[in-house]
Amino acid sequence: MTEVRPILEARGVFKGFFGNPVLKGIDIALQPGRVHALLGENGAGKSTLINLLSGALTPDEGTIAIDGKAVARLSPSMARAAGIGVVQQELSLASQLSIAENIGLGAYPKRFGLIDYRALARGARDVCELVGVTEPLDTPVSSLSLGRRQMVEIAKALFAKPRVLILDEPTSSLSAHEASVLADVIFTLRDRGVAVLYISHRLNEVRALCSHVTVLKDGGITADRSLDGIDGEGLVRLMVGRETGALFPPRPDIVPGPLRLRTKGFSAGIVRDADVLGHAGEVLGIGGLVGQGQEDLLLGLYGAIPARSIETKIDGQSGLPNNVAAANAAGIVYVPADRKHEGLVLTHSIASNIILPSLAKLARRGLRSRGAEADMIGDLARQLMIKGDVARPVQALSGGNQQKVALAKWLPLDPGVLLLNDPTRGVDIETKREIYKMLRRFTGEGRLVILASSDTPELVHLCDRVLVLREGRVVLELRGDAITEEAIVGAAMGIEADGETRIVREEVAQ
Amino acid sequence: MSLLKTILRNPPLLTFLLVALVWLVAGLTLRGFGAFGHLRYLLELASVIGIAAAGQTLVILMGGIDLSVGAVITVTAILLPLLSPAWDPTGLVGVVLALAIAIGIGFLNGLGAAVLRVPPIIMTLAMATFLQGVLVLVAGGSAVTVQNPAVILLGQTRPLGVPAGVVLWVVVSAVVLMLIHRMPIGARFLALGANPLAARLSGVSLTRNTLILYSLSGFFAGLAGILLLGMNRQGYVGIGDPYLLTSIAAVVLGGTSILGGRGTYAGTIPGALLLVTTTALITVVNASPGWRSIMFGSLILGLLLISGREARR
Repeated sequence: MTEVRPILEARGVFKGFFGNPVLKGIDIALQPGRVHALLGENGAGKSTLINLLSGALTPDEGTIAIDGKAVARLSPSMARAAGIGVVQQELSLASQLSIAENIGLGAYPKRFGLIDYRALARGARDVCELVGVTEPLDTPVSSLSLGRRQMVEIAKALFAKPRVLILDEPTSSLSAHEASVLADVIFTLRDRGVAVLYISHRLNEVRALCSHVTVLKDGGITADRSLDGIDGEGLVRLMVGRETGALFPPRPDIVPGPLRLRTKGFSAGIVRDADVLGHAGEVLGIGGLVGQGQEDLLLGLYGAIPARSIETKIDGQSGLPNNVAAANAAGIVYVPADRKHEGLVLTHSIASNIILPSLAKLARRGLRSRGAEADMIGDLARQLMIKGDVARPVQALSGGNQQKVALAKWLPLDPGVLLLNDPTRGVDIETKREIYKMLRRFTGEGRLVILASSDTPELVHLCDRVLVLREGRVVLELRGDAITEEAIVGAAMGIEADGETRIVREEVAQ
Repeated sequence: MSLLKTILRNPPLLTFLLVALVWLVAGLTLRGFGAFGHLRYLLELASVIGIAAAGQTLVILMGGIDLSVGAVITVTAILLPLLSPAWDPTGLVGVVLALAIAIGIGFLNGLGAAVLRVPPIIMTLAMATFLQGVLVLVAGGSAVTVQNPAVILLGQTRPLGVPAGVVLWVVVSAVVLMLIHRMPIGARFLALGANPLAARLSGVSLTRNTLILYSLSGFFAGLAGILLLGMNRQGYVGIGDPYLLTSIAAVVLGGTSILGGRGTYAGTIPGALLLVTTTALITVVNASPGWRSIMFGSLILGLLLISGREARR
């Protein structure tokens, strides 16, 4: 190997939680001027390793070394002082503060003991220019879209002039354009001698950006090598540890079943005048750039935000549900994108979360039946392969398993219409595969799945039909082989679409 | 060691042990503290706090707070004698009317919090202030004496040597524990307390549950007011005031998170006992009322550090 001295290293680190070993003797060395990929399924220990490298956690055994010198107890402030910057997967911005204030947070330039806003603005402007944040610097972060916030988060990390930059799934909420800006930034940093650690589930990105890869599996390392001469399949094999089948289940040649959902002139949030049809046994994809009304469409159909329509029929019933309880009663369920804040009660147990929508159904004479509840929870945990003790709090689970819990809790209601908002965001490949298979099983049972997704391949390969939203309007409808990445991205960006939309609109009118 | 860990992780048990320890030490060192009559008296006093804190526990578990508990106690204690009609020999009509008013007040609190979206701390505090004004207008400065036989029975009899108020507390405890741990609504408002957004998207109605819980809080405060009236035989403006802080302190001493989502009434029970014990010990010490109040406040803080501390996440 090369003689370059790594800036930041972990040497034989072990870390466990509640007696479960998560990392079992990991070595990783981040060298200056190299973009290093960290791959692994959810639960493989990636987040824990990042937390050790940034001082948020202390290893049980082994050492963290900076510039070749072992540091006994690395704290977050020591890591910061040593030039280690982290962009977390969970956005950690203070939403009430402005872009500039967020960027400077914790490292405000001072003058006479007061914040030097002029120096802050100068510094913030520089990093914002670098990452293409063009909004005025006094814009409160709360008014930015998720993708823009992510760019601010990256700008914030750059403001501290890091020597090591750790990026945890930075592109999961970025548009294609923003992602390419980020790629340029990463290359610039690399050429300046910054050591970059890049975590992503998108293998194409990893192969385009990185030159070296460390693969984690079950807390151990299965590869620590150059990315030369290894293809996507090979990487997946290293992560999963066995031959993989196709990620997406085959699309069945469906004869569209009877209509389950039909709404005309639907408006909710920023969605205007949308016509949506959904058949039994169909996966209907909702695509578009981040924040074009995908979530509003789902929430409106779910009765969670005010919505109106000219005419709506869901499973024979007329009208949109007025509230969530009415939607649930009509067999409509919703899995939110932000599972930590909207999907799950994190501090409560897996069992409590699963049982929440079914409490009334399982109660006998007004009292909860522990036996019936335990049977149902056990059954679902087995069916969805949720591992471990269901009395544990949900927050102890990995992202993929949390998502399974968020999905599992609805199954006892036997829903006819499943509204899913980006269900595979931040989920590892193996769990993705399980979720895709599960969705196909649901449609096989005659249910309708409506899937909003920021992952275009998911729309292309999983969905039977795709609606593309732009600025709250349905701009394109695609079906079957016409669903291509080019068509979706083109319509999402506002590039002239072909005549298909019109054809579909006529169909709805019939 | 693992036994110690289990105890430390179980706030209700920890609080119970603390009460037992204080009773043991005080019983051995203070003349008369350990006498059956004295302990029974402590239990009787604790039952008022315990019943008032039952509603408070429910509301706090759901992430709210009820600052009108003291005012509702005063309202029932003053209005009940006035509302009890002379033609009713049992006195039950007056009791039902007073409780209906208490529930109504709680329901209004719930409406303000759930429908008008007024923060519960403001809504219930405003309600308390409003009620105080009404009471001054209705009762003036004078105390009202209770003649209602049902209330006197509740406050004065001791079937088999157990004060009726304590029996009432046992019944209330059983019902509330059942509500929290064995009924669907208990799981629902715990979920609302821990993550309102996720609970709402799971089909749990915030409005409905808020209305139910604040109404229940009004009901239990009213019940405590009736018991207090029976024990005191007189209602006057300010009779319920001490029960606002104690109802919240009992909940928190029992290890229930003030932020909601975690805890149980099983902790509030020893919490109430601990509070009256503390008061009794302070009374023994010969000090001016000012000093007693200072000692009470400091002791509550001290006790919170021992038993009511939020478990570290």
